[in-house]
Amino acid sequence: MFNQRMNTILKRELREKLFSRAFIIMTLLIPIFMFGILALQTFLMTVGSDDNTKIRIVTTSNIMTEKLSEGLSSLAFVKNGHYSFEYKTMDSTAFEKYIKEVKGDLIGDKITGILFLPENVLKNKKIQYYSKSPNNVNLSSKLKDPINKALVDIYFKNKDFSKKDVEFASLGVDFNGFRVSKDNTIEHEGSGNLVLSFLFSFLLYFSLLMTGQIMMRSVVQEKNNRIVEVLLSSVNSRELMTGKIFGTSITGLVQMAIWLSPVMVLISTSWFLLPEDLILKLSMSQLLYFLLNYLVGLITFMGLFAAMGAIFDNEQDAQSGMWPLMMLIMIPFFIAISLVNNPGSSLAKFSSIIPFSSIMVMPARMTLTEVPLWQIILSFGINILTMILVFMLAAKIYRVGILMSGKKPKWSEVVQWVRYKY
Amino acid sequence: MNALEVRNLSKSFGNIKAVSNASFAVPEHSIFGLIGRNGAGKTTTIRMMMNIYLPDSGEVVFQGVKVGQDFNSRVGYLPEERGLYKKMKVLETLLFFAELKGKSGKAVERKALEYLERFQLSDRKLSKIEDLSKGNQQKVQFITTILHDPDFIILDEPFSGLDPVNTNLLKEIILELKEKGKVIILSTHLMDFAEKMCDHIAMIDKGKVILNGALDEIKSKYSQKNVSLSYQGDISFLKTNPIIEKIMDFGNVTGIRVKEPQHTKELLRLLVENDITVKRFDANEISLNEIFLELAGNDGSVDRKKEVYNV
Repeated sequence: MFNQRMNTILKRELREKLFSRAFIIMTLLIPIFMFGILALQTFLMTVGSDDNTKIRIVTTSNIMTEKLSEGLSSLAFVKNGHYSFEYKTMDSTAFEKYIKEVKGDLIGDKITGILFLPENVLKNKKIQYYSKSPNNVNLSSKLKDPINKALVDIYFKNKDFSKKDVEFASLGVDFNGFRVSKDNTIEHEGSGNLVLSFLFSFLLYFSLLMTGQIMMRSVVQEKNNRIVEVLLSSVNSRELMTGKIFGTSITGLVQMAIWLSPVMVLISTSWFLLPEDLILKLSMSQLLYFLLNYLVGLITFMGLFAAMGAIFDNEQDAQSGMWPLMMLIMIPFFIAISLVNNPGSSLAKFSSIIPFSSIMVMPARMTLTEVPLWQIILSFGINILTMILVFMLAAKIYRVGILMSGKKPKWSEVVQWVRYKY
Repeated sequence: MNALEVRNLSKSFGNIKAVSNASFAVPEHSIFGLIGRNGAGKTTTIRMMMNIYLPDSGEVVFQGVKVGQDFNSRVGYLPEERGLYKKMKVLETLLFFAELKGKSGKAVERKALEYLERFQLSDRKLSKIEDLSKGNQQKVQFITTILHDPDFIILDEPFSGLDPVNTNLLKEIILELKEKGKVIILSTHLMDFAEKMCDHIAMIDKGKVILNGALDEIKSKYSQKNVSLSYQGDISFLKTNPIIEKIMDFGNVTGIRVKEPQHTKELLRLLVENDITVKRFDANEISLNEIFLELAGNDGSVDRKKEVYNV
């Protein structure tokens, strides 16, 4: 199958793509972009949003005020000044009057919000928050636990319970995940693999779309500037297409390997210590499977993109004709992303085996849950078979398409091309 | 001795018959002209010879063997629609195409530099193709066609878009290649070029070979009843004369065909009797263009009649 002519084509593709400025920039930019997004999100969550939050806490008894100020003042985000509290004690009727008085301050942003703990808070734990923007998830998640603790303390204070009992009662429930697998022992699992499954899905999605576009553009250009006929006087169309697809796929694989090298370093060495919650449960062989699966996927999709490029003779038409391929990449991507909700669902199983979608769903599923070996082998076999079929079909469309120019062909004509004897 | 034989080639695209039952032979050491108007089927025929299209029926035989990839690497092909990778450098381009034909290494590189020198491009060897002028790009394209020292050179409309200086240079090199014993197949719709350069021709019209053989034989066969005339006066009286078969106006020259070879004398007598100033009277002379128009011109017959009436 490989020969010297194909090799020459492949070499040229590699040289053109691997050393192109676009490739180098993209390869470096994507990790920076991804970490940038993560960092920005963290930054916004910790610093930006609730910096300088001023809360006035109103209770109906002095003991409660005392307890709350005691509990809240020791919290980190209060100590470093992001939150500041003022306390007031009054009963419900006085509070109704009071809230009308300070309305101006709330609207004028002098105070972020007022937290009111009414008389029967010790019966039903219902508290009230008055603010211009009352649905503040950040605030409620931060204050929920300390307030609960203070309430529990007061509630049990004069009753005959030990300190230990009270501490227990004030604890929330901590949900811990354990990965059960066939061969390994039961292990505690943090959210590291969750991040990893997102990472895999995102990289696959992005890379397939980007490499596919590059492939398609390159075919359209060759067709457009008529170089294809010169090439065809030396190589046949199958050699040309195969050389191009392999050249582009190898470029894509190199890029993916570069992107995944940090993960490779993380799981194979102990140079970096991740927080326990983020430890990755991934073996080297899984990572290699991922790369191999990606290569098969790339070749399959590159075949489709090459055929698509051969149908059109300018980039605008090609872009607009590309949507079926986009769907083929985007739908599995959304399935893979949604897998986090329940990686054991039958949708997950189904879509990790059927052609095209399995390329993206299977790696995500494998990082989240134990997949039986037969399913992995089955999906890989199906992918290889799909690749061969796509190749045969693409070669036919490509062979006819690259020498066609002028009118934009109808889809029915493309179907006829497949039957042409060329 | 024939180098290449095209036997009964046919090719259809859907309902359109691009080439039907085309046969001709290309002799060794010749410049072979494949002529015909645009869309006649020249390029499709060449593509089948190059294995780019698979013929519906028929075959192309090279030294007794059906052509295949082996043949392709011995051919240099300059397609009508040219193209190079715009971002590649000149020398890099030349070496890439030579490598596709299986030639690589120092010897090819030396030769590439020689050709660049000859085409006055040696200072541009590291320029990108897109930075060259159109004429220079064509020169590079031509070098890619011959760099791997092919035995066959197929040039599809090689002179289109070339200025006179480069046209001459190209002609010179084509003749030089012929001297070296290469076979050159030249497709063109420019009859004048074909007439000056080719030893053998095949004329294609609407997918069919309507004429083929050695150019001088063809010309002598067609010329016996033809007179090429330069004159002053009114020759419209000839139109009704029974010895005249056809009158064709080519601008400076008028081609007149008589019904039988012996009628040429009668024609000259008629012209003198009718007081026409004869500047030139060439019997047994016919241009390829005339032959072409006679054989393939039935589409434009209405136009030509008009021309004749205008005489």
